[in-house]
Amino acid sequence: MRGFRAALLGSAMAIASAIGLHGAAQTQTAPTLRVGMAAQDVGRLDPHFAVSTIDRVVVAWMFNGLVRFKPGSINPAEIEPDLAERWESSADGKTWTFHLRRGVQFHGGFGELTAEDVVFSLRKSGTAATSAFAADYRAIESIEAVDSHTVRIVLRENIPSVLGILTNYSGGYIVSKRAVEQRGDTFVRNPIGTGPFALDRVTPNQSAELVAHAQYFRGAPQIGRISYRFIPSDASRDLAFQNRELDLNYGRADQTWVNRTRAVPNTVVDVFEPGELAIISLNTRQPPFNDIRIRQAMAHAVNRSELVRFRGQDVAREGQSVVPRGYLGFSNDNGLLPADPARARALLAEAGHPNGITIRAIHTQLPEMLNMMQVVQQQLRRAGITLDLQVVEHATFHQQIRQDLSPMVYYSAARFPVADIYLTQFFHGRSRVRTPTAVTNFSHCDQADSQIDAARVSTDVEEQKRLWAEAQRILVQNVCGVPLIETLLVFARRDNLDYGYELRGSMSLGPLITEATRLR
Amino acid sequence: MTGFVLRRLLAAVPTLIAVLTLVFIIVRIVPGDPALVILGDQATPEAIAALRTRLGLDRSLWAQYFSFITSALMGDFGVSMVTGRSITAEVAAVLPHTLDLTIASMIFGVVVGVPVGIWAALNRNGVVDVAARVLSLLGLSFPVFVSGIFLLLAFSLHWRWFPVIGGADLSDYGDRLHKLVLPTIALGLIMAAYITRVTRSAMLQSLGEDYIRTARAKGVPWRRVVWVHGLRNASIPIVTVVGLYVGILLGNSVLTEIVFNRPGLGKIIVGALNQRDYTMLQGLMVIYCFLIVVVNLITDLLYGVIDPRVKAE
Repeated sequence: MRGFRAALLGSAMAIASAIGLHGAAQTQTAPTLRVGMAAQDVGRLDPHFAVSTIDRVVVAWMFNGLVRFKPGSINPAEIEPDLAERWESSADGKTWTFHLRRGVQFHGGFGELTAEDVVFSLRKSGTAATSAFAADYRAIESIEAVDSHTVRIVLRENIPSVLGILTNYSGGYIVSKRAVEQRGDTFVRNPIGTGPFALDRVTPNQSAELVAHAQYFRGAPQIGRISYRFIPSDASRDLAFQNRELDLNYGRADQTWVNRTRAVPNTVVDVFEPGELAIISLNTRQPPFNDIRIRQAMAHAVNRSELVRFRGQDVAREGQSVVPRGYLGFSNDNGLLPADPARARALLAEAGHPNGITIRAIHTQLPEMLNMMQVVQQQLRRAGITLDLQVVEHATFHQQIRQDLSPMVYYSAARFPVADIYLTQFFHGRSRVRTPTAVTNFSHCDQADSQIDAARVSTDVEEQKRLWAEAQRILVQNVCGVPLIETLLVFARRDNLDYGYELRGSMSLGPLITEATRLR
Repeated sequence: MTGFVLRRLLAAVPTLIAVLTLVFIIVRIVPGDPALVILGDQATPEAIAALRTRLGLDRSLWAQYFSFITSALMGDFGVSMVTGRSITAEVAAVLPHTLDLTIASMIFGVVVGVPVGIWAALNRNGVVDVAARVLSLLGLSFPVFVSGIFLLLAFSLHWRWFPVIGGADLSDYGDRLHKLVLPTIALGLIMAAYITRVTRSAMLQSLGEDYIRTARAKGVPWRRVVWVHGLRNASIPIVTVVGLYVGILLGNSVLTEIVFNRPGLGKIIVGALNQRDYTMLQGLMVIYCFLIVVVNLITDLLYGVIDPRVKAE
């Protein structure tokens, strides 16, 4: 027994020694930014296929657009030059000419950016087989290289924001033509861009490692590397942040989380735009919601201020229209019905349901969406509406709601901050689900199509805003959807991390790490 | 011996094909379109159709099945639908982490569970026995996501001995060992608890047999009676449980991987399921099936080592 104890002690000392020696060997030699993200893994790093939050955040560090949102802002009025140093448009707004910066280098020795790369990238973005955002580029008739550093884009028709589809967002990112052609299908995990950071490697299930792009055209980044860690467990990620193993941490849009994290020493919690607007779309073509009185009862049954209190005053705000606040064209002058459970009961009785009504709805098991829907379920109950939730796995939810299997659909989304995008995707007749041109119109509403279409091609900004406001009034009065709340993005960072700009918003859904970002 | 191993491996082929067929059917029955998951919610039906064609999902189910089975039998698992990377490469990158954790947890479970089980059996109904039974029950009752968080709070946050983020560089053995300690304890505790109970029960039965009484009557020292005569005869159920549990550890380590931020097969399979990455799921199933066959084979071989009668059969 004594021998056994000695062996055990010896083993323990050997392990302790290995651990101690290892700890001593861990020294930081270069400024590395360590980011924790709530995900199992990255998906596709070809920016034109980057649709999930985890992919969007990281591609924004690796790619540029012809133009960009000013870092820290999502205001389209603050779009500024990026790869294009200047541009001009024709009097009718249909021909746009962009003059590229000279000397912009791609990562990995793929050479200088030329007009060929821009033409290739935008054509790729507009092609369904090579981009998830092809629909955004339908209005483009042609893209051509005028010379090595000049690109001309001709539109079929005017669109609300030409610069919007050319920003550092979704399909607007510029890729290296040579790299795409050379790497083929493997480009999704070996992307080449012009951004301040280049992908070094992806370790499946673990991290994506990025290195500074020394030849970045705005100057070499002050951060040497980024270690983008995939940590799906909220608890573990928070512990890692508290343990100073992370400098930047993906947060939860939840007041308790925000309060608890703010109490961690040397920590800053950033809450920023865009807000994701949650709407319950009501299928106006199917019973029971083909009766407007039942839709109105639903609208009166929902109490938005309670929902905001549930999610948190710092991270959520009431939805005021079927378009998120702050988007160009947003209007809250739309006659949104107030919370009034008694009026809801009266409307149900008028519609032939004096004892209330039961509605069966499909919903996702994602906790943040399920929690909110359960609160709505309680509010509806007070108005005599029993919500029978059929909870399914998230991918199943997305498939089934597109098959019209749920008469009401809870959907939360942020889009490019112009009213047209939200109105078109969610409330235009062309976007109705189960049609060849479907996007996410679950309500099947088409009452505001003419206003949406007219606003899209209008060149008069004031007229455009008037039409968008009218469209919102029509959709709200028809109760095509019941807006709930807008939830903002939340990240926590150590106070020695300086972004180099004031973070008020980010279209990439995460803080932009630029050449100016530094660890003090 | 070689003939036995070959026969067992050949016998596993029909099992493998049956499992693959089931997996192929199940992943396609489950609702959820991989093309929609990959392209996101703004994709048009046109884009979804284009991607389905590119992924080969527009082919008939028979064509997809035949192509999958023939490729799998030739050892080609294809590429992930989501990342485009070779499935073999994806698995090879994380398999060492899974094997590290499985083997370390198994060793921990055996090293702790067997002596404690024997000790409890030798002190039947005594303080040690009651303590071992209560502790093993507690060990079985604590899920990894609870014990794991407690371990992280104590050893990472309070004492700062270990990092919260696991997943070491495979070429750095010190780092690998360092980051293996807490997950091994969390997962190994459950296994140790299980082995303790099985060992205690098997030893109690073994120590009550006639040959033990005979050995004692012949004057064999007690330590030798326990460790050689008693334990060897109690080993068959222990080895069976360890074999079974290793299979469970291989498949169920996902929670440990998530809590301790380690890469591993469990996390890949959950990710593949969420993203409806059919090819990845199918490839992983083949690998899991193969690992389970190997574990069962080793267990069978160990039976022969422990009990000469099994070897003779």
